[in-house]
Amino acid sequence: MIPPGRQHLRELPDRHCLAAGTPLCAGCGGLAALQAVCDLLGEKTVIVNAAGCLTLLAAYPSTPFRGSWLYTAMASAPAGAQGVRDGLDILLDKGAIGTEENLEVLVLAGDGSSGGMGLSATSAAIDRGLDFLYLCYDNEGYGNTGQQASAATPRGARTATSRGPQGHPGAKKDLFAIWAAHRPRYVATVTAAEPLDLARKIETARNLSGPRLLLALAPCPTGWGYEPAEGVAIGRLAVQTGLWPLKEYVDGRVQHSKIPQPRLPVRDYFASQGRFAHLLRPENEQLLAALQDETDRYWQEVEEHA
Amino acid sequence: MYRIRFHGRGGQGLKRAGRILGTALFRAGLEVQDAPRYGAERRGAPIFAYVRASRSPIHERGVISCPDLLIIADPHLLAMPDSGVLAGATTRTVVLLHTGEPVSLWRERLDLPGPLLILPRLPGEEERFRGAVCAGGAAALLTELDEGLLARAISEELAHLSAELIMTSLGLARAAHAALAGERGIVRQEEPISAAGYKTPAWLTLACEEAAVSAPAIHAAATSELSQTGLWRGKRPVIDPGRCRGCWWLCATFCPERVIAVDANRRPRIDYGHCKGCLICLRQCPHHAISAVPEEEAAREEKA
Amino acid sequence: MTRTLLTGNGAAAWGARLARIDYLPAFPITPQTEIIETLDGWIEQQELVCRLVTLESEHSMLTAAGAAAVTGVRVFTATSSQGLLYATEMLYTVAGWRAPLVLVNVSRGLSSPITLEPDHNDVLAVRDCGFLQLHCATCQEVLDSVLIAFRLAEHPQVRLPVLVNLDGFALSFTREPVEIPDQSTADRFLPPFRAGSLRFRAGEPLSAGVAVLDGSTYSYFRYQAHLASLQGLAAYEKIAAEFAALCGRHYEPLECHRCEDAEIVFVMIGSFATKAREAVDRLREAGERVGLLRPRLLRPLPVAHLRRALAGKLGVAVIDQNLAPGRGGVLLTELAAALHGSPDAPPVLAGYVGGLGGREISSEEFFEMHREVRQAVTRGENPPPRLLFTGEELRAVRKLQQVARADRLGQGGEQR
Repeated sequence: MIPPGRQHLRELPDRHCLAAGTPLCAGCGGLAALQAVCDLLGEKTVIVNAAGCLTLLAAYPSTPFRGSWLYTAMASAPAGAQGVRDGLDILLDKGAIGTEENLEVLVLAGDGSSGGMGLSATSAAIDRGLDFLYLCYDNEGYGNTGQQASAATPRGARTATSRGPQGHPGAKKDLFAIWAAHRPRYVATVTAAEPLDLARKIETARNLSGPRLLLALAPCPTGWGYEPAEGVAIGRLAVQTGLWPLKEYVDGRVQHSKIPQPRLPVRDYFASQGRFAHLLRPENEQLLAALQDETDRYWQEVEEHA
Repeated sequence: MYRIRFHGRGGQGLKRAGRILGTALFRAGLEVQDAPRYGAERRGAPIFAYVRASRSPIHERGVISCPDLLIIADPHLLAMPDSGVLAGATTRTVVLLHTGEPVSLWRERLDLPGPLLILPRLPGEEERFRGAVCAGGAAALLTELDEGLLARAISEELAHLSAELIMTSLGLARAAHAALAGERGIVRQEEPISAAGYKTPAWLTLACEEAAVSAPAIHAAATSELSQTGLWRGKRPVIDPGRCRGCWWLCATFCPERVIAVDANRRPRIDYGHCKGCLICLRQCPHHAISAVPEEEAAREEKA
Repeated sequence: MTRTLLTGNGAAAWGARLARIDYLPAFPITPQTEIIETLDGWIEQQELVCRLVTLESEHSMLTAAGAAAVTGVRVFTATSSQGLLYATEMLYTVAGWRAPLVLVNVSRGLSSPITLEPDHNDVLAVRDCGFLQLHCATCQEVLDSVLIAFRLAEHPQVRLPVLVNLDGFALSFTREPVEIPDQSTADRFLPPFRAGSLRFRAGEPLSAGVAVLDGSTYSYFRYQAHLASLQGLAAYEKIAAEFAALCGRHYEPLECHRCEDAEIVFVMIGSFATKAREAVDRLREAGERVGLLRPRLLRPLPVAHLRRALAGKLGVAVIDQNLAPGRGGVLLTELAAALHGSPDAPPVLAGYVGGLGGREISSEEFFEMHREVRQAVTRGENPPPRLLFTGEELRAVRKLQQVARADRLGQGGEQR
């Protein structure tokens, strides 16, 4: 059962859990998603982090957290979450700590870790039924090292390692489907540009136990080539063009939480970012059409299965 | 040897400035070493670059601690204690400050031990050209360089950019060079540190301390608030109270830094100490109640 | 107290059981698996209250181990060989967290070629990761060292993870008589784990494992881990003395067998050192003044002890059960560095590499090494390093090579 969410932005928390003064880029879409998660999860959280942009949140002696944080490595944040969760459970079982001292364990990782090096540790943690929440901030490339192509880079995007006339040749790995195939408790796609949808999904996830993923599209001004002010508009365009479907997997079924009506042409989204500028050139007309076609087919299937 | 350090912020092209100056000095026949330095911080955050140049091979390495020439692309950096902009400046360090404000003002504010020069803001200068401007200004101070070498270095270093961008950069760098033409030769090469009569390093024998203090862990909350990331801003979002409808939730909800809070009168208030100036709030405000004011202008108004 | 026959793996499991471990992150690998299976059996039968979790790799296993230790529970884990190398990134990481856990490594030769039999390249490859290292020669020592290791790891002046090493096959699957201390004795020796300030709790904000981005601060933290490791030597001696008082077995940082009046000394770590001990006794019977020195503690390296123990000796034969290609034996370089500058350091320091991938080292070989070193002492020069290998062995390899090549020819390959 998916509970109804808040109806208005003014119902969102106006007290914030993370402190200001982080070293992340101005306009970071990953930080925006994390802010929403922390606002709703509160201080009784331990974040277990994998190497990525957001690793820099805590750099001695600076930390924005009012809860706790453990940086592990790029490949094994879910295993770190296992250790912390088990440690806390052991202490709870022994009566060494009270339930008021307990913490929610949140893995925080980028797409590079989540879809690549960390996938084996993630798969195993889901397999073991680990009670944890996983926030993946997906900026569609290895952002921390200058936006090289990762498993999450969409077809056609220019990155530091796909500078050719047609951009990245591969397709974006479907992390949502990979997670869902493990039959975890909950999987949802989100973006900070849709704060009500995001808040509802965070709360849905918070109220469940077991393995839960929030996969957040994280617009990245530095890596995607746009003015930071455009970040929210770009996130919204990703949803409105149908390129970033907002959906959730719960109780074995996938449901779309927002079906874009009308669906804007994908061109609008591509036109908003430097990494896609080449797709609008006449010589890439076919590629652009193919990308539109791919999106159309996706939504056609959604409608057929509705 | 010349030891030259550029200070700026991510996005201002300071890495490029170091390379342009390095290439120009190399083309002038000197041995050169140039490198950028950036830490964890991002667009808007302090970075620096350095150049060494000498008639003989260079064996020094790493960060320049005592510069002969210090170019500060953004006077805001001087307000950041951690940015280390003036570190190692001595009586013989020439400081070249890129600002629209008069030299008298900065002489008073900084009270430097050595000479201070101003590289004025140029008409049509955008943030991204600041590297080229600073390279042009720095080149003007060195006897080994002339406008031709500067132009050649810019063409080489910016070759991957469009012809239009190269032309703009060239024009601005030339203008910066011209603005400081009267100061040619003010920067002097310093001799290496002498092994006879040096200052003894204050080595100590480190004691073992318990893991509670000697592990890289932070036993405190929200210490990041000590970082004044507001100094990263190029432009400041300013709320027009006449236009603001008191719908505090749009700007506040979308602010990725969560630095817009609501005051007792349910009005949004921006924490300028930490706002990095992404301007998402400006773009999201449906009533166009937020405008972007260049930081220097806003700071002047604040002082007035 | 019970005296019974136990394998090295069984002894390691008993050590963990007596330590009342809370958490056991696990991953199977030969020849270590028996340790976690044994502990799992006790957990199943409710003889041990502990949470066992099988991870999907040793890298994850060490991550979970370190994370649980800094959450505030007593953690034990075990691996071997390839597993230790796969976990190497996390060995450095959890040592940097100052996570006080105990890891048993069952030594096994490294790939490639892949093999199952023991040597010390695995454990020496992680020599510098920040874990303290205890090396065992008998099954009894394995059990006792696990208990000592927890005291050492959790010592407030140390607070670093500790690795206890035993050799695959030679100890892991070999039964020997072992005295199992009573639980009450173990409890007196090892009190419950006190997590101190490194722990995750609601209301106690802690950001751990954080980035450190300038050289001076980074150096401070790294230096402190080193200084804590050095503190481990004195702490070890004190803990070992307490253990001796309770259990009657005294484990000095160096085991010295008949070294006092020896002229020539063998230096070895691990279980093959008992072969050297046997050879020493036979050589003594033949009238030779010879001894054995076996470092138990390799990190921190007991440098002053080594210098003292070898002062005035005429020659030393370092037998390395490992190989650093392009250099030779790891212990030889460690020992040379430790002895350098010592005024009465032995004039001859001879390096032998042997026992790779479980290759035997025979008594005759020990006798011959002794003879070579003595000859070198007479001549006043160091002998060149020797790789232990015989004509018979080469002939056997030749036969295998013929088969390996004939097979290719049979497939229609060209002979080169």
